[in-house]
Amino acid sequence: MLNVHDINVFYDEFQALESVTVKIEKGQTVIVVGPNGAGKSTLLRTIAGLQKPRRGSIEFEGHRIDRMEAHQIVEGGISLVPEGGRVFPHLTVMDNLKVGSYNKGARPIAKQRLPQIFQLFPVLADRRNQRAGSLSGGERQMLAIARSLMAQPRLIMLDEPSLGLAPLVVNMVFEFIKSMKQEGYTVLLVEQNANKALKVADYAYLIESGKMVFEGKSEDFDKNPYIKTAYLGL
Amino acid sequence: MFEQILMALINGILLGGVLALLAFGLNLIFGVVKIIHMAYGQFVMLGFYFIYTFHTSWHIPLLLAMALGIAAMGLIGILTQLLVINPLLNAPRLNQLLALASLIIVVENLAQVIWGADYRGIPLSMPIIQFGEIFIRSSFLIAFIGAIVTLWFLYLFLNRTYLGLGIRAVAQDLEMAKGMGINPKVIYYITLMTGGALSGLVAAFFVPIYTVHPHFGASFTLMAFVIVVFGGMGNLMGGFISAFIIGIVTSVTAVLSSKEVADIVALLMFIGMMMVRPEGLLGTES
Repeated sequence: MLNVHDINVFYDEFQALESVTVKIEKGQTVIVVGPNGAGKSTLLRTIAGLQKPRRGSIEFEGHRIDRMEAHQIVEGGISLVPEGGRVFPHLTVMDNLKVGSYNKGARPIAKQRLPQIFQLFPVLADRRNQRAGSLSGGERQMLAIARSLMAQPRLIMLDEPSLGLAPLVVNMVFEFIKSMKQEGYTVLLVEQNANKALKVADYAYLIESGKMVFEGKSEDFDKNPYIKTAYLGL
Repeated sequence: MFEQILMALINGILLGGVLALLAFGLNLIFGVVKIIHMAYGQFVMLGFYFIYTFHTSWHIPLLLAMALGIAAMGLIGILTQLLVINPLLNAPRLNQLLALASLIIVVENLAQVIWGADYRGIPLSMPIIQFGEIFIRSSFLIAFIGAIVTLWFLYLFLNRTYLGLGIRAVAQDLEMAKGMGINPKVIYYITLMTGGALSGLVAAFFVPIYTVHPHFGASFTLMAFVIVVFGGMGNLMGGFISAFIIGIVTSVTAVLSSKEVADIVALLMFIGMMMVRPEGLLGTES
């Protein structure tokens, strides 16, 4: 479904990704783990079109998307939940959800979608007229996920959704990621919390200093002695 | 004397409505495109000349000439985005500021070449409304009502439509707005078109009140800038409130002393605000 092939990404002269390749099949939950600053967010930003690769290609459902603008990529069916949620703080919860359905494909069905979203996240229904800036960190993360679901994506990318959340909320987020898989979404998840992320993953990548250094199924990660000590704390 | 001050107060409020429209346009452009439209008052001047030419030279009925003038200014707004702002979107702030400031020179000199330096106007006799000892010019009243109605429609546009939502989203977080499927280029064009059309509308309201000359816009550029910064750059509500404050203060001071003193008082208030609250009345820091 998604084919990131051998991409190089730079911030000015600083190389953030070096010949990175990622493959995702339809319906899979794929995770990318790695330390802070390894390039995990850059990978998602590049797929979302917010950053352009200098080399390599990105294909989604058979179409090249690496030269497309970010807003076209959303229309194409990829939606990003950025780090920290990044909801629009001065817009109400309702307007944030409505922005989620801004792309042409999502607009006509936004009305039917909304009750489903509120069923998934009852707290957002209660706070629908509140400004998003007044929500708690966990609620913002919920809103960010809900907002990206409003876009009718086929691939949903989550950037460190558990970062800075209370343990109970972290569990909720991971439960939710599991349920997204059951609903047929393809998920690309980027996490520092490797233990929890590996439990929900079909396939995983390890990234260090902009390079993919290991990939495999969750079991392969559990067996690898280096990963065990460095990332899983076992 | 009391009646005079009361009348000045009313005039200040009525004028404040039109100034609020001007501030809205400037604020919208700043909030969304993050650029200060330094030639906004000159746009009003250009709109005035358009209406004047449409009506006086081409003999188009006045109301239609005004509508055409507003549309023409909307088009000028789009051209400004295309030719001046787009090429400088990622340029340093100073370059953007200089480019828009140089628009002042371009527009003023263009006006001088086309229409000459004479004062031009459309003679209209608008009735004066009397309440006891109080006299109100109907041209002021119409401008005020028109401005408030327009602001109400703009409020609805921003809050009830997808396009309005897109504008607000881009103003808050450009990158996330792109990530939501919003094409910022489209939003910029719509913003500049709206801003341009608003300057044309203000010009239409000014037609029965003023005469126009090539330097007509300068004082309105300054006025709009003072109002917007006083109220808090990019804050639409702040601009709305401060338009009335500035309108009332200048109008009342003008009656008590003179128009020149009124301008000084307005600018002193502005300087005072900058010293006490640099972010403006309702502005947020940073």
